[in-house]
Amino acid sequence: MSSHAEASEKFIADAERTDWHDETLWFVRAKRDKASKVLPEWEALREHASQIKNHTLANLGAYLEAFEAKALANGIKVHWAADATEHNAIVHGIIAAQGSKVLVKSKSMLTEECHLNDYLALRGIEVVDTDLGERIVQFRKEVPSHIVLPAIHLKKEDVGETFHQHLGTPKGNKDPQFLTEAARQHLRGHFLASEVAITGVNFAVAETGEFVVCTNEGNADMGAHLAKVHIACMGIEKIIPKRVDLAVFLRLLARSATGQLITTYSSHFHQPREGQEMHIVLLDNGRIRQLANPKYKNSLKCIRCAACFNTCPVYRRSGGHSYHQPVAGPIGSILSPNIDKKANADLPFASTLCGSCSNVCPVKINIHEQLWFWRQDLMAEGLAPVSKLVGMKVMAFILARPALYRFGGAFFRCFSTLLNNRFNPWYKQREMPLAPKESFQDWYKKR
Amino acid sequence: MSTRADILSKIKHSVDLKHPGDFLGASEDFDFRASLEVVGARVVSPEELEVLFPVRRRYEKTLDGLSLADVEVLEIDGEFGVAENGAIWLTEEAFPHRVAPFICQHLVINVSEIVPNMHAAYARLGGVNSGFGLFLAGPSKTADIEQSLVIGAHGARSLTVVIRS
Repeated sequence: MSSHAEASEKFIADAERTDWHDETLWFVRAKRDKASKVLPEWEALREHASQIKNHTLANLGAYLEAFEAKALANGIKVHWAADATEHNAIVHGIIAAQGSKVLVKSKSMLTEECHLNDYLALRGIEVVDTDLGERIVQFRKEVPSHIVLPAIHLKKEDVGETFHQHLGTPKGNKDPQFLTEAARQHLRGHFLASEVAITGVNFAVAETGEFVVCTNEGNADMGAHLAKVHIACMGIEKIIPKRVDLAVFLRLLARSATGQLITTYSSHFHQPREGQEMHIVLLDNGRIRQLANPKYKNSLKCIRCAACFNTCPVYRRSGGHSYHQPVAGPIGSILSPNIDKKANADLPFASTLCGSCSNVCPVKINIHEQLWFWRQDLMAEGLAPVSKLVGMKVMAFILARPALYRFGGAFFRCFSTLLNNRFNPWYKQREMPLAPKESFQDWYKKR
Repeated sequence: MSTRADILSKIKHSVDLKHPGDFLGASEDFDFRASLEVVGARVVSPEELEVLFPVRRRYEKTLDGLSLADVEVLEIDGEFGVAENGAIWLTEEAFPHRVAPFICQHLVINVSEIVPNMHAAYARLGGVNSGFGLFLAGPSKTADIEQSLVIGAHGARSLTVVIRS
């Protein structure tokens, strides 16, 4: 697996495409700004949402129990999974009991986190992803590059070619309207035939035992309402205390994500329909560990709007796949090291720490500070890339010795080519400024 | 120990941070019709509806969602609309089957009551009043191909709203 920096290098090799990716996401960020500024109470809403999440996380155990009790009373079956393997085994057990070999799934980053599709494929069960963007990347044997816009790394020509290969659309046709219609017809067949549907969960309400799923396409509903068995998979942090809290979160979610006023469908599943089985799988997978760490527990407030992706100068110019995890972007970079520190040690460094992520976050997660905390922890544990460890040690040594620092400064002012060469990663794609003839100290002494 | 007990025992109750309560001070100055336009819905008069969709499926309940796959136009009654975002609250009691508003090709919703914002919407709902309910704002849509907005992804291809007094 390549590190973020190595993968990004490949991504930016196509300068034109990089610019397009950058501008497309900035356009989404601009829509978010416009939608949020319409509401004078926007900042108060963010603060309110943040406080609800803080309160929920402080009482998570009690709210989970309350949610479970209500959901059971509503006729929903509740399952608990400690990790990805247990989650997948539970889901597989439910599907196996039903006897289905093909099923439909709407967007769920949690099932990506658990690699559910691969797990089920090994057991002879095919998962058809029904979100258009997810279906596109599934055809291409890729993973989503963005949690809200899964195929944002692709151009319409790419999608046209993919659909030509998999759906038999005419070669060269790249009209989004036409391609979407082809996907509609293709997936409608799966919706009508599937006996099992898997969905994610945006919010689960402890007070009522209901859960809310938001989509624009209607794919979660098409799947869930036609299937005999509906399995909803959620992380334990998706709980909110009260039904009225949904007002706050639904106002923030779509505006932050895409600049929409609200998603087209905000479906409230309270009871299974007559004759239907409804299951909820509650997953830990490291969330309790994160919760117990005061530095990182705030990351569990995330409502997966991806505003931090769209605003991030590094994400926009490196693409989601460079993050080599299902949840990319700034939020992914603080969530992933908790799941596997060693494998994700590069991610907290994939940031300029500019803080824009924290500023747009609808639930006020201090994302850029947590990136910085992770850097410190990873360095202390010796997990940071070797070049960084050595570099930092050399810097610390020099900065602690004023005479050496002054000598070094004078030396490199004379021989700046020793720094401005291809062995210095900062020199790549950058014209380094010429070093001034004298240092600030020399100049100051003369005054 | 079961996973459930294990998870619950591991979660530590931390400093008690209070729930902030209901959100106060939300804007109320929104135009429902304007919001409907933003979310891609069309508003027509009852007379215009007759011209646009003379044949419409109404309420007959069914337990067979698949039987609705050929429904061209479905007309249902919404409980109320939300001015800030053009969403309309619907419950399954109002339609033939849960899948109905999604599987039909074109959807018509009658609305007679409007609340200003989402806070007012949930206040009006109070407790849960249905096994399934949703806020629906506009026709099914996607922008997954190069951010080009396409109406009619998997759900209804169009939403027509009739505001009846």
